[in-house]
Amino acid sequence: MYDFAYHKPTSIADAVKILAADPDAKPVSGGHTLLPALKHRLNQPSALVDLSGIAELRGIKREGDTIIIGAMTRHGEVATSDIIKSAIPALAHMASTIGDTQVRNRGTMGGSLANNDPAADYPAAAMALGAKFQTDRRTLAAEDFFQGMFTTALEPDELLIAIHFPVPKKAGYAKLKNPASRYSMCGVFVADGAAGIRVAVNGAGPGVFRQEAAEAALSANWSPEAVAGVKQDPDGLNSDIHGSAEYRAHLVTVMTKRAVLDAG
Amino acid sequence: MTAVVHPPVSLTVNGIGALVLAPPQTRLSEALRHHLGLTGTKVGCDAGDCGACTVLLDGAQACACLVPLGQAEGSEVMTVEGLAADPLGAALQRAFHHHGAAQCGICTPGMLMAARELLAREPTPDAAMVEAALGGVLCRCTGYLKIIEAVRDAPRFRDMRAAPPPEPGAAVGARLPRLDGREKLDGTERYGADAFPVDTLWLRAVRSPHAHARFTFGDLAAFQAARPGLVAVLTAADVPGENGFGIYPDMKDQAVFAEGLVRYRGDVVCALVGSRAAVAELDGLPITWEVLPPQTDPVAALAGPPLHERWPDNVLSEGRMVCGEAALSGTHQAAGAWETGFVEHAYIEPEAGFARRVGDSIEVTACTQAPGMDRDEVARVLGLPLAQVRIIPSACGGGFGGKLDVSLQPMIAVAAWRLNRPVACVFPRGESMASSTKRHPARITASAGCDAEGRLTAFHFDGIYETGAYSSWGPTVAGRVPVHAMGPYRVPHVRARARAVLTNHPPAGAFRGFGVPQAAIAQEALWDQLADAAGLDRLEFRARNALRPGDTIASGQVLGPSVGLVECLDALRPHWLAARAEAASLGDRGALRRGVGIACMWYGIGNTGMSNPSTMRIELSAAGLLFRNGAVDIGQGSTTVLAQIAADALGLPVTDLRFVIGDTALTPDAGKTSASRQTFVSGRAAMEAALDLRAKILRLTNAGPEARLRLDGATLWADATALDLRGLTLAGEGRFDPPTVALDADGQGVPYACYGFAAQMAVLDVDTDLGTVHLRHIVAAHDVGRAVNPTLVEGQIHGGIAQGIGLALMEEFLPGRTENLHDYLIPSMGDVPPITTILIETPEPLGPYGAKGVGEPALVATAPAILSAIRDATGVVIRRVPALPHRVLAALHG
Repeated sequence: MYDFAYHKPTSIADAVKILAADPDAKPVSGGHTLLPALKHRLNQPSALVDLSGIAELRGIKREGDTIIIGAMTRHGEVATSDIIKSAIPALAHMASTIGDTQVRNRGTMGGSLANNDPAADYPAAAMALGAKFQTDRRTLAAEDFFQGMFTTALEPDELLIAIHFPVPKKAGYAKLKNPASRYSMCGVFVADGAAGIRVAVNGAGPGVFRQEAAEAALSANWSPEAVAGVKQDPDGLNSDIHGSAEYRAHLVTVMTKRAVLDAG
Repeated sequence: MTAVVHPPVSLTVNGIGALVLAPPQTRLSEALRHHLGLTGTKVGCDAGDCGACTVLLDGAQACACLVPLGQAEGSEVMTVEGLAADPLGAALQRAFHHHGAAQCGICTPGMLMAARELLAREPTPDAAMVEAALGGVLCRCTGYLKIIEAVRDAPRFRDMRAAPPPEPGAAVGARLPRLDGREKLDGTERYGADAFPVDTLWLRAVRSPHAHARFTFGDLAAFQAARPGLVAVLTAADVPGENGFGIYPDMKDQAVFAEGLVRYRGDVVCALVGSRAAVAELDGLPITWEVLPPQTDPVAALAGPPLHERWPDNVLSEGRMVCGEAALSGTHQAAGAWETGFVEHAYIEPEAGFARRVGDSIEVTACTQAPGMDRDEVARVLGLPLAQVRIIPSACGGGFGGKLDVSLQPMIAVAAWRLNRPVACVFPRGESMASSTKRHPARITASAGCDAEGRLTAFHFDGIYETGAYSSWGPTVAGRVPVHAMGPYRVPHVRARARAVLTNHPPAGAFRGFGVPQAAIAQEALWDQLADAAGLDRLEFRARNALRPGDTIASGQVLGPSVGLVECLDALRPHWLAARAEAASLGDRGALRRGVGIACMWYGIGNTGMSNPSTMRIELSAAGLLFRNGAVDIGQGSTTVLAQIAADALGLPVTDLRFVIGDTALTPDAGKTSASRQTFVSGRAAMEAALDLRAKILRLTNAGPEARLRLDGATLWADATALDLRGLTLAGEGRFDPPTVALDADGQGVPYACYGFAAQMAVLDVDTDLGTVHLRHIVAAHDVGRAVNPTLVEGQIHGGIAQGIGLALMEEFLPGRTENLHDYLIPSMGDVPPITTILIETPEPLGPYGAKGVGEPALVATAPAILSAIRDATGVVIRRVPALPHRVLAALHG
């Protein structure tokens, strides 16, 4: 690995200052995506800004009907948090299915969301629950935050601070995992909450998307049977060695049914 | 780039404060291994996929390869080296040793650390908790079950001492913990990448990114001169001897450094030698490519332009079996076509080692399965006599056939010879997967017939085995498959042909089973169809046709007494009936369908109709009892098994033995660790060596054949007679070469001296909405002749089954696309179901204490049993493996 500067700020303000001063600096949270990328020179930052020393970026709290999760909160903390388990059990369940224990011990919610890997889990929960993204300078709706494969609305020097999840009436999640990485081949998060009835899909497409036909079907009749006839168009879906676009389109229907069952 | 000055990073490692002078973005794994010398933490992929580098960071398991050192600042790091001083850690180490949970040992540090995290929060975990906690660490040897057992049993080992060793004469048959176990559990074992001379240079191979291309170099001297720290760029011109290697003496068709033409993505064109930093930088290497169209389909290759002039039709080798009449007879007939893909060995230890010149000799220390063959190859490449080449095998972190061919050995030997400096090399995971040999993809058409009573009448088989760009073990596969293609059954009329066909893909070589697992998929699928047609239960159909002692097989060989297939099926029957009854009793379960499948297999132990001797030597002197054992233990346990055999034959306890293993300068040639031969062939040689030494002792002490021996310092007692060993060295030597007769063009002869047999059944659920397969149970009955060490035998069977699961359901290597362990899927802890192992012992007269081999037999029957169960569940015959969910779903709806 080639050499470059490494910063470990202890406040959000300091981190933003470093990022603003050096457009080629990169923030690092859990490091699980960035380190392999550095090795392959897919990413050649001039400096790393390690966010692990910023205490205010971590933690889970409930404020009224909103759960606020700090960006540096680890998947394992989300999975085992009593606050989340009682308010949005489907979100805790989702976190428990991410990667393996090593990944859940290091990977963070903010890192995953800011990376916006199409096969990552959290974007579907954020989209279906109508989460708000609090950055160092503004608040973004999920629809505005996600901008397609590995792309978000974050500016290069903008830091994700926390994610605000409205507590839904009910929600459920089901996914088919890649057997090795446990990344999502296709995952569906269904929610009946403040944003209405929403169905969001990860893994299947180039980025998270809402399945509007399923949303309409569930709005009329919240039951697994109601979505059994929903047909996802395979056009534009991911097709790779693990599954064709047609297979993933098929999974959207199956996983929507199972997510509704999971929601109860 | 301007130099960046970083302050040292401070952290606590195993309770001791450490300051690391390295950039904070350095991987923690690198800091532990290279800066702190703690090489117990292993690196298998550098990408967070394999989990071998798992350490505890403030008590939580993490892949050290993905943690920047800076994030560990101020943290408590615990590594495998710290376990012994920790009560939970020490208990885990003892439990792992007792249960045989470490085989090659390369994943063991990671497993132990993950288990340590679990036990700290959950003292009595159930199996599911263990699977969840350890699921991020991959193991390619054990099939995981003994690891789960060991973790759950660890509390019992907090205060427990090791069991006493077996009495003299009682070692064979004992569940002796492996003799090389402790080093694998405390991090002191030295694998290929763990210990290099301090002044070593580093070598990096530059490989072709193209499957087929011509190339020319520009000014390499200028390239080198412009890069400080780069000592040499080696090309074909630097090879002192013959620039070629290959398994067969007349097929040295793979160049150490290609000469203007590359034939697969992975051919080496040159090598950079210098400092670690210098060889990391490839930019600006003056090389010009002329890309040529690659031949990537074996069927098309049969009519395509030749890859090598000497094989004009691209058929590297062809094997046949011709027996009885050519017509396909039978009241009932079945036919079909099947396809399998490349399979990667995926040993968790990538190829690694170093070479150094010692005067006019060269020494190569590297991970290998075949030190004797490595010596031959290095000698030829350097143009040296054998006596000037020494191969010192490091511990081997998994092989499965993939470390039989040389990989880095010729390159580092050339470099060290030319530069007169030690030269080290470690393949990154991607390079290992792109360049190493694979299991042959097979395209098989087969048909078979039986009479109205279900007796097999005829079997026809034609297999195209894609052998890739170079010969490697292609001829072995083409020769072995036709002998085995009809399986362990009485079939009077056989026509079988297997061809190894060259393409511009990675060389397909040796992989646990040498082509037989692919053939078994076709053969067993036909039996299921014929059994149904004849109205017979699938197990009873196989029992009716099973080979029995004294039968004549298609090659004309008359089998001896050690044919235990009927006993295997008898042992399986109650499990079979129970599982079938349960399946029939299940009500509506939505999308889930239960299936129960069965398959049998046989496997010839050792080379096919070819000499494959082993020589063992045991010396007794005042310094003790020294076992010079040239057989490399790649995790399967030969060091322990051969010691058990030798100890009993000699009449002394196993604990008296000291070892020299594998070093070609210090041990006689035991032959390679392949073809399931070490227990049978080297075991017999060890027995003969021990008997030879015992006879010498008895002569010198004038003792009778039943005399009890006892070694006490420099005195050996035979009953009450003392033999003063001072100034004396007694040596026993044993050699065994299994009696075979070379096969003629029709496959007639005696291909193997003995055969292993097995029957396995699989119970599974198919989710017909998803196309996924969930394994519930596997029962494996294996005739091993004699289980010298039942724990190790079970470990082989579990591990073979795990690889069979991969072949059936998960694994498909696609050149250029799956050169990592997250796109290439191998079974992880949750993918292996409970396995019931049944050991059948029908003694083999030629084997040591009746023992045969089990390494490859473990794997062969698993994939066909799983496919049989999928058909039972759904009615669908899977024609292409792996049966990935989308393929199963397509088959269900096709």
